[in-house]
Amino acid sequence: MAETSTAQQMRDQEMIAQIGRRDQGAFSALYNRLSGPLYSLAFKMLGDASDAQDALQEVFVQIWSRASTYDPEKSSVFSWAVLLTRSRAIDRLRARDRRLRVVVESTAENKVAEATDASTVESAADTANKKDEAAHVRSLLNNLPEDQRQAIELAFFGHHTHHEIAAQLGQPLGTVKARIRRGLLKLREQFRT
Amino acid sequence: MISEEQQDQAALYVLGLLEPREAAAFESELNANAELRDIARELREAAGTVALTVPPQPPPASLKRRIMREIAIKTEEPTPIPQERVRFGWIPWAIAAALAVFCGLLALDRVRLERELADIRGSDPLMQTTFYTLAPSAPAPADAKATVAWQPGRQSGVIRISNLPAAQPGKDYQLWAVDAEHKDPISAGIIRVDQNGVAQVRFKPVEKAEHVKAFAISLEREGGVPKKEGPILLVGTT
Repeated sequence: MAETSTAQQMRDQEMIAQIGRRDQGAFSALYNRLSGPLYSLAFKMLGDASDAQDALQEVFVQIWSRASTYDPEKSSVFSWAVLLTRSRAIDRLRARDRRLRVVVESTAENKVAEATDASTVESAADTANKKDEAAHVRSLLNNLPEDQRQAIELAFFGHHTHHEIAAQLGQPLGTVKARIRRGLLKLREQFRT
Repeated sequence: MISEEQQDQAALYVLGLLEPREAAAFESELNANAELRDIARELREAAGTVALTVPPQPPPASLKRRIMREIAIKTEEPTPIPQERVRFGWIPWAIAAALAVFCGLLALDRVRLERELADIRGSDPLMQTTFYTLAPSAPAPADAKATVAWQPGRQSGVIRISNLPAAQPGKDYQLWAVDAEHKDPISAGIIRVDQNGVAQVRFKPVEKAEHVKAFAISLEREGGVPKKEGPILLVGTT
């Protein structure tokens, strides 16, 4: 898989090391690689293009400032950036106090007024690969047992505590925790094969 | 050997779902346990994978320029002033002073305009009204919709609902105001739709709601509940 292959992870780590040495070229390259999936995530969580852009700006500024603190033992660069993005999006959701926000299921209807960033327009092959990959991962998520998929989506895209998720699903806390963990590990396992 | 309970905690930890106290306790455990750290890493990678399920949405062209500009500003080092410029060192100060005066004039003008706008708002009821469009959320029908006209000054509003089937026996629809100053949504009353799935009612929240961010309709027990329990059917912001 393009996003997490070992070779790609090593390239990402090299870029992060260069960014730590204040290399704007490496930063630009990392932006080109990650901005698509990170922006998509922020947009899905926030449901608003302007908010998603602000969140992504915060994330990349954070990557620039904290590149030297990145720990490859803890996660890949991609997962690190994803969790940073999710965290910034949740901060914004909490600030808005949209406690009743629903997950925006379809981003297709939301039009983005501006043109696509030329720097993120990749070759047709890259784009096709990424689409294939997204479709593949979506199918993996959909293949999970319904209760696990639902728990993961609520946990990942929502900004609820595990107590709130348990209340929302009407399930005991222990059951919900186990569903999140089992679902995540199963997803990881399937993604690797 | 890592117990299932530890793995559960690890999953919640990487998603930031633990309470601060729980997270601190888990971090201590993590520092002392290499196997647990491996599990946490696996779970982080799995969480990263979830992000790939989101439909692709390209960022706008301006965003990279904006970010690169901010990075460049953060990187800029103070440059030494060349000697030949020292003679004219007063020029930037003169420009700054002129700008300060100009900004002061702009600020005064803004205050005047804000006063005028407040007067207009005070005299026109429509200007005091904020409109919210509520969109359906499963299990509501896809064509269900509602519009709220809310007047914060009067603490009252009107909601119009369409295409929402009548609540099943023993249930009622309840309207909620989501206010930034309140932890929980504020009840704004029970709403009953007619046989055509339409309702138009005036409402007043049970508590003062001065910073309403959204309105939502949930399906609750008949007669309503003081705190939201049931699923949200419609929700929307301005």
